[in-house]
Amino acid sequence: MEKMNSLIARALSRRKFLVGAGAAGAALTTGALVAGCGGVSPTGSLGPPANPSPSTPSDPDILNFALNLEYLEAEFYLRAATGSGLSDADAGSGAGPVTGGAQVTFPTAALQQYAVEIAQDELNHVRFLRQALGSAAVSRPAIDLTNSFNAVAMAAGIGSSFNPFADSNSFLVGAFVFEDVGVTAYHGAAPLISNKTYLTAAAGILAVEAYHAAEIRSLIYGMSVSTGTATYLNDANAISAVRASLGGGNETPISATSIVAADTTNAIAFDRTTDQVLHIVYAQGAGVVSKGGFFPNGLNGFITTTTA
Amino acid sequence: MATAETQELDAIIADRRRLLTLGGAALAGLAVTGAAKAFAQSTVTDSDILNFALNLEYLEAQYYTYAATGASLTAAGGSTTGGTGTAGTVTIKADPKVPFVDPTIASYAMEVATEERKHVAFLQSALGSSAVSMPNIDLLNSFNGLAVAAGIGPSFDPFAGDLNFLLGSFIFEDVGVTAYHGAAALLSSKTYLDAAAGIMAVEAYHAGLIRTVLYGMNAANPALGINGIASKIAAARASLDGTGNDDIGLGTETVSLNSSSSSYTAATVVDADSNSLAFARTTTQVLAIVYAGGSGMGGFFPSGLNGNIR
Repeated sequence: MEKMNSLIARALSRRKFLVGAGAAGAALTTGALVAGCGGVSPTGSLGPPANPSPSTPSDPDILNFALNLEYLEAEFYLRAATGSGLSDADAGSGAGPVTGGAQVTFPTAALQQYAVEIAQDELNHVRFLRQALGSAAVSRPAIDLTNSFNAVAMAAGIGSSFNPFADSNSFLVGAFVFEDVGVTAYHGAAPLISNKTYLTAAAGILAVEAYHAAEIRSLIYGMSVSTGTATYLNDANAISAVRASLGGGNETPISATSIVAADTTNAIAFDRTTDQVLHIVYAQGAGVVSKGGFFPNGLNGFITTTTA
Repeated sequence: MATAETQELDAIIADRRRLLTLGGAALAGLAVTGAAKAFAQSTVTDSDILNFALNLEYLEAQYYTYAATGASLTAAGGSTTGGTGTAGTVTIKADPKVPFVDPTIASYAMEVATEERKHVAFLQSALGSSAVSMPNIDLLNSFNGLAVAAGIGPSFDPFAGDLNFLLGSFIFEDVGVTAYHGAAALLSSKTYLDAAAGIMAVEAYHAGLIRTVLYGMNAANPALGINGIASKIAAARASLDGTGNDDIGLGTETVSLNSSSSSYTAATVVDADSNSLAFARTTTQVLAIVYAGGSGMGGFFPSGLNGNIR
């Protein structure tokens, strides 16, 4: 197994070099470039593709894209559950700063336990992806958990500001912002991954994000029933509408008969392109955008900018 | 750029894939009809995998549709007939409609029933004339047998009420997730892979829903011992599939987040491994669970599955 992991790491490293030669390759030293081409090609030349296309990202590019999203989720849940975020070791060298986030006071042990569990899961996803990517792993980009939520709230028409750390109900709505997006992002990415081992891992993370999504959605719906007020349910669905607007549709509002977010014809979960996901996390619609919203300086890695 | 390393890597992956593929089919084939059949089944096609999934969807669709409406998949507008074979029958108690007390849980049942029927229709459509018909399904003796195996009593009626319905659902959903997860990397077609990943996600939504509701009921009324029952079912699944450790029930665990010295109590709503990746099962392992340990048949499928993976 170690042998396989080592081989995969080396194979991925070479793919990274090949596909990212134009952009990511700039970060590599000359020595790394030589090492990356250490294998003898059929023609005996050092031949990276002349025009590596951003539309065909490598497996490491895709996993790094996912890692950025996991950093965001981990910071959100860790801060909500404990008051502090990722350790320096988990955030990587030269990690960007995190703005906002605070420990939430949960009214019941069960709600606290849900938050702790998801924090642990997202932390594990960060660690898993960092380990899988090895030296190719990007560090945490700058993350904003304050202005981002305010911008989402304004776009959703639910107020001029929104603090998901204010109380348990607000936390659930804040969590709702992320989970279905994670599902669509991993689902969209799955067929793009070449390596079967990483495909299976990504599918495993996809499933866990879907567990989380259903948990959050059913808790929000259950809360609306038990309290007799639909305020937070309506807030969540207003946010769903914003995500649909930014991210190419692909949304199912929460109701008694729609805990699952999926297409209505075949009951297959939605997927999103990296562009659509970026538009949501940057909180900006159509056009070429490279930062904003939850990532004030953009994502780290190869996939950072929308094409339209 | 194919170097010795990448060739070796490809060989390892191909070998791993072959092992995963062989799992159920080969072993069952050896036991029942000998090595020749096992060899033939070593090349599992996308259709074989989708038909394997279709069998599981027939089971789920019938369970939820009967629970929510009291009537069958066919009565709800679905079809039990694929492109090949004759549809089997469903063994179930009289008047199985669950007498739901909580309208929210009744709504959840209706939603899941609808979605499982759509999965049946989707797979039938994707497979076209290759689609298998529904095999014989047992929703009566199967649950009783599992209750004994799990040590939760001599019998179990998942249609008796809200809680029993949720526990019955609990038996299926995580298995569906692991089945699609295990199958994903075996699919050759990217289109089918995309669809299978999307169905897996919906099964995970279902599992997350069922587990969250059960966990909440347990928290509200610990005396019912719901988490303990769910954990016994999870342990039974892990035991049946031969691993003993690829299933997490409902409960709590102590975790230390952020590398700090503080410890916190986490729920175990998500059924996942130590990396927080959902578990995956081979077709053999899934068959062992749905056959309740039977050889080639048993449990929910008294005559076995239809199709090449059985």
